[in-house]
Amino acid sequence: MSLQPKLLLIFLFTAGAIAITAWFIYSTSKLSSQEHGGMENPLRKRFTAFIILFALSAVFLSITIPKSPYFRFSGENPSHVVFIAAKQYNFIMSNQAIDPKKPGGGEDIVIPADELVEFRVTSLDVNHGFGIYDSRGEIVAQTQAMPGYVNRLRWRFITPGHYNIFCLEYCGNAHSFMRGSLTVTEAAAEK
Amino acid sequence: MINLSLKRVTSVWIIAILVVFVITAIFGITMRFNQGGDIELSPVTFFSLMTAHGVTMVGIWSVAGMMAVNYLMARYVKVSTAVNVFALVLTVIGLVMLWTSTFVGYFHAGWTFLYPLPFFVAWESWATPLFLYSIAIFGIGWTVWTVAMLMQIYKKYSLAQSFAWQHFKRGYLVETPPFILITTVSLIGILICLITAVILLVLLFAEYYSNGTFTNDALLIKNLTYFFGHTIINEALYLGVATLYELFPEVSGRPKFKTTWYVALAWNCTLVFVLTAFFHHLYMDFVQPVGLQLVGQFASYFASLPSAAVTVFSIVILVYKNPIKWSLTNTLFFIGVIGWIIGGFGAVIDATISNNFVLHNTLWVPAHFHTYNAMGNVLFSLAFFYWVANEFAGTKVVPRSEKLRIGLLLIGGFGFVLMFYIAGAYSIPRRYSVYPDELALGRNLASYGGWFATIYVIAILLFLGEIVNKCLKVFSPRSSAAA
Ligand code: HEM
Ligand SMILES: [Cu+2]
Repeated sequence: MSLQPKLLLIFLFTAGAIAITAWFIYSTSKLSSQEHGGMENPLRKRFTAFIILFALSAVFLSITIPKSPYFRFSGENPSHVVFIAAKQYNFIMSNQAIDPKKPGGGEDIVIPADELVEFRVTSLDVNHGFGIYDSRGEIVAQTQAMPGYVNRLRWRFITPGHYNIFCLEYCGNAHSFMRGSLTVTEAAAEK
Repeated sequence: MINLSLKRVTSVWIIAILVVFVITAIFGITMRFNQGGDIELSPVTFFSLMTAHGVTMVGIWSVAGMMAVNYLMARYVKVSTAVNVFALVLTVIGLVMLWTSTFVGYFHAGWTFLYPLPFFVAWESWATPLFLYSIAIFGIGWTVWTVAMLMQIYKKYSLAQSFAWQHFKRGYLVETPPFILITTVSLIGILICLITAVILLVLLFAEYYSNGTFTNDALLIKNLTYFFGHTIINEALYLGVATLYELFPEVSGRPKFKTTWYVALAWNCTLVFVLTAFFHHLYMDFVQPVGLQLVGQFASYFASLPSAAVTVFSIVILVYKNPIKWSLTNTLFFIGVIGWIIGGFGAVIDATISNNFVLHNTLWVPAHFHTYNAMGNVLFSLAFFYWVANEFAGTKVVPRSEKLRIGLLLIGGFGFVLMFYIAGAYSIPRRYSVYPDELALGRNLASYGGWFATIYVIAILLFLGEIVNKCLKVFSPRSSAAA
């Protein structure tokens, strides 16, 4: 299972647990009378709850930070470089550096699976987003395209096939139609 | 002291906010049905609606929080009605300018008007400056209001007391009520982000009027934009939380909340960390220094967790096995807290860099912020509106069963945001007027979302009549005689 459905499940499970707990707490107040009541040892419980919460956050932080895209593949050398210049409303993609003054039309991009690619992404006008979608319509990787800057996105494709590029930053009224594509071929034979 | 003139401005605010809310929510429903393919708008109309919806919603729920704390603050310190009216007038003028720019001039750069999009004019050329001036007008009105309220707080409390620092030591003389603490923390945050908005606008106007001799740096402006946008919407929520601390125990018939050292600590954390959490909007800008990215994740966790945990626990202790007079007011507060933490959890998932890599700018983003706004902050404000409207009418908030209105609100509200979450997890991008065939799932989800949102708005309309009627009572001759 890819990351997104896992996150959805974690979210729904937690949201459900929160809702059930809230309902339970609400119903205890409906049943109670003035005499007995209230929580026993609330301060102790609060303290324990806080410690657990902080421990959980610390665990979460230390597990997830190393998986940040900035650190993945950072020690390796990419075997392919693809240049991308986004503009309203398409992506110019090329295997050679793109001259912003004479951007040209770019060419079809074909990348072998299992090889490290570096996308060097910039924009010639407003901010855009470079979102790579697999054939099932799921985002596999993304970065922003910002005028005046080049974002370097490294990725290793595993599954060969057709990948769509959709724009992931609002860039004007044809934003929803701004797209591109690339092809990932079977891994090259033994090197 | 709460006098008749304060009641009257508050009443006008409430009526105006509710009416504008319903209209703006209908913009939202229209957008969902367009994304669902049920109706067909031109992309320009869609994005004009989206821009107006975003700015208006953020604006009205910020001022809803401001005017609520302004009203309740009169219990502790003097407040100025003149400034309140001034803010109201500028807000109305700003709104007219905003809607003119989006609906007459077709300005549609999104509510964050991210540079340099406002200068790539695809609308009437006057609409860009008009839009920016409308933001400036809001900014002036709200800055004066914020400063005026802070000055009143500082006439009574010292700087250290306003942040409840004396509560970190034993044996303090003055207690800072939680309401004052949270209000101060939020107002300071709002002031800082309004100042940032001024810097942002000055930079944009400098480029606009320089005829090409001055251009801005896109990365710098993006940082400023999100510092402003992220912070203001969060602080607006905290204003709602301040009213909750003040009113929830009172209407439930329980002892008031007290400031303790951990309440003080939690809100001081919020004060500091909320200002750096916005870096999570730039996670996918890999040229941003990595250190700031990590600060973003760390701050996103610790800006909201302590204050949410403290608030939730205070509410739990208050409610658990205690006899509560449940009425519409505390029920709305209670549900609002649930919406706040569920939305907050959705936010924490997205504020985790490794998740953001696949969730950034998908519908997961509107999913979580609509949860803590439409099912959080809006409910905090409605709770206040309902409570204060009864004060105005001299009626008591009666404990009674509210199954219909609350039921519709819950089904409509949570159904509406659930469609956003599912779509987000299925990689459907945010801010698309229609979805490409590869992402056709987004269409069905949008349609369902539109229907759920309609139920939500019906629930709101069922509250609206009663609240507006009671608010109008402060204008009756009898009520001026009583004053
Ligand atoms: C029933 C109520 C509401 C409905 C139906 C609704 C609907 C929508 C829709 C369809 C979008 C566009 C989503 C996208 O494709 O990116 C949107 C965006 C937005 N909404 Fe709402 N919304 C509602 C309530 C609220 C509330 C209470 C707030 C309070 C702050 C809010 C603030 C925003 C903001 C800031 C945006 C982003 C606009 C932009 O991207 O420029 N909405 N809403
Ligand atoms: Cu775009």
